[in-house]
Amino acid sequence: MDNHSSLRTQRHPHLQQQHPTSAYLDILSTLASPKSFLFNHQRPKPPPPKSPTSHPVASPTMDKAQQPSSFQQLEKLGEGTYATVFKGRNRQTGELVALKEIHLDSEEGTPSTAIREISLMKELKHESIVSLYDVIHTENKLMLVFEYMDKDLKKYMDTRGDRGQLDQATIKSFMHQLLKGIAFCHENRVLHRDLKPQNLLINKKGQLKLGDFGLARAFGIPVNTFSNEVVTLWYRAPDVLLGSRTYNTSIDIWSAGCIMAELYTGRPLFPGTTNEDQLQKIFRLMGTPSERSWPGISQLPEYKPNFHVYATQDLGLILPQIDPLGLDLLNRMLQLRPEMRVSAHDALQHPWFHDLPQMQAQLQQQQQQQMSGYGGLVASQQAY
Amino acid sequence: MAYHKRPTSSYQPCETFFVESYEDFPAPRMDPKEHAKMIARERQYAIADELSKVASDEFRDDILAHMLDMDASTLPDVESIDIQTEIQWFMRPYLLDFLIEAHTAFQLLPSTLFLTINLLDRYCSKRVVYKRHYQLVGCAALLIAAKYGDKKDRVPTIKELKSMCCSLYDDDMFTQMEWHVLQTLGWTIGHPTVDSFLQMAVMDTSYDPEVEHMALYISEISLFHREFVSKPSSDLARASLALARCILNRPQPRHTEWASQYDSMTLVGLSQQLHQPSQILFRKYSSAHFSRVSKILEQFLARQASVANYTPPSPPSDVNAESKPYEGEIGLATPQKAPHPSNMPHGYITPPITPENDAFVNGGNNTFVKGVSGTSACSPSPTPPPSMQYVDSHVYQDSTFTQGQQFLQPQMSFTTTY
Repeated sequence: MDNHSSLRTQRHPHLQQQHPTSAYLDILSTLASPKSFLFNHQRPKPPPPKSPTSHPVASPTMDKAQQPSSFQQLEKLGEGTYATVFKGRNRQTGELVALKEIHLDSEEGTPSTAIREISLMKELKHESIVSLYDVIHTENKLMLVFEYMDKDLKKYMDTRGDRGQLDQATIKSFMHQLLKGIAFCHENRVLHRDLKPQNLLINKKGQLKLGDFGLARAFGIPVNTFSNEVVTLWYRAPDVLLGSRTYNTSIDIWSAGCIMAELYTGRPLFPGTTNEDQLQKIFRLMGTPSERSWPGISQLPEYKPNFHVYATQDLGLILPQIDPLGLDLLNRMLQLRPEMRVSAHDALQHPWFHDLPQMQAQLQQQQQQQMSGYGGLVASQQAY
Repeated sequence: MAYHKRPTSSYQPCETFFVESYEDFPAPRMDPKEHAKMIARERQYAIADELSKVASDEFRDDILAHMLDMDASTLPDVESIDIQTEIQWFMRPYLLDFLIEAHTAFQLLPSTLFLTINLLDRYCSKRVVYKRHYQLVGCAALLIAAKYGDKKDRVPTIKELKSMCCSLYDDDMFTQMEWHVLQTLGWTIGHPTVDSFLQMAVMDTSYDPEVEHMALYISEISLFHREFVSKPSSDLARASLALARCILNRPQPRHTEWASQYDSMTLVGLSQQLHQPSQILFRKYSSAHFSRVSKILEQFLARQASVANYTPPSPPSDVNAESKPYEGEIGLATPQKAPHPSNMPHGYITPPITPENDAFVNGGNNTFVKGVSGTSACSPSPTPPPSMQYVDSHVYQDSTFTQGQQFLQPQMSFTTTY
């Protein structure tokens, strides 16, 4: 497991061997620009000063540069479509980290998911968003060093809850942190686009943080058109399922609503199998929308005039544990019409959260009791 | 904004790149099915507008504050670019023409072009770039910008970029350079582009494609000029918009605080660069997709000149090439960009690379190639003797200076009408 020594490679010596006469040598020899440092002090936000004598290739990529061998790679935590996540340990500090390894496609260079994820996460520094510490580039992979979290929300529910159900105080605390993270993303014009329990990470302090920004992207005002192949099916908003490409911040809110219901029941709210099945499951509960309840819906690409017509059900019936205020908030998040969905900012002001401070005090007591029995659980997550 | 929401203009036509003759395409006849589709689309846009209004009411101030922050922290440093030893400002228009054509050919979003140039300039503010790699840096910047913000299926492949560069660079040079640009910029890619500020600035006003296209055209003209390289995108966007409204004789609205403020010096600076736009850019904006704003601007300037009773100095006799009608030479240098046309030694400074392989060329290039003795159209510009370089940079400054003088008069009358 000691391949960490190959991390952050030397200056591509193989290139010089392969192309002794090619222009690679020129690229390498063009890197130094000592004179440009003279002007750095005039910039509004100067980049970290570098010594003009240092070889430019060795310059740190991120604010906190790590040495090649500074991470000990431990067990695998999970495997995603384009990355593998390992647990790691900072050799100098002993601090645990999560190492997300992204294989570089030599054909097309750095994947767009990695470019978006890294650049967006560099902008998003918030207590409810997993911190990106460093980016390390090796010959054929990219390694992202993240703050270590103990497990994802899915695993947490499996191990902590009563058949997956969580207690009121924990649900409220998690929802508050989730909405804070979402609000921060939206204020910084970032859509997460893949919120689901597997992408929400929990640590021992009971903190919840948003992870995996692989599908995230910056949005403009007004809305642009985006791909509608976003968000895992079960958490995908009805307007996106209907083929809308002009979605906005409201798609993250729909996901948050689905997650909230799942926290109560321990089961996904709308576990559809296909696009059509997903829509049907949503309509069965929320009622089939019509041109009257949702003007313009018939113009959406996937709209079918022969949708089975369901009446709106009371969400409270399938969530007996939920209190009226919580139900009100949930209903505001699970609005079929995207423009009717509550914003993250407004959701945080909802009266349901007013008694959060008292509940958090209770929660802390609970946690202290549980901490004593915490030790032996095997952490596992892949959501970085 | 129009170029995002209206299907006809959300992508630029790629025909300009591949089709040799550039005639206006006849308006496509619309069958009823198409028509219904269009109506449906319009409804969709209405929904989108409503949606975005909700989001913008909520987050607009926060988002604007964040964008302004990011704008300030992702500015290129023009003085660092000044001290580049090999690349010179006179080379910039050639590279930009190439990038604009590539951007058009791949049908990328407007913001991708602005982001490309921002990444290019930021890289050039931090690293010494050899002339023969200038185009490679530009391609890497285009690649990163497209991957960051554009649609997945439109991101150029390295193979395509390579062939556009006439295989001057190997495949892995693109990935190497891409990586190096990312590394040099510390992975901070999210520069808020001029067009994103433009969108914000016009969102409270009624839809006026001509104004939006004109503002976009002016903003893209500004990319060519050193004086705007370190200007914040938010300033450029608002000054371009104000200037566009002034040219098109639209009132300047006072809807929102931020959108209505603009720096008048920036506006005057922009107005001084409108007279000799890149022909590539002129052509791009002469299409119906962009409301033919480049032609409108040209007519406006002619009118201004005659109003001022001013005859511009006749161009030097050896600039004939300049007035030669465009014959579909793809990716060619625009002749008038030679820093000093009468000074022939500079004539051999070819665009860094022109797409010259079979995929892109239908002919019409040969005369150009012949004219460039000793260099193929594909090769990077040869290194001029050191003394030459010195002259070059000064010639560039000279020419801008004279250019400025030449047009001083019409400008004045123009700005006073404003």
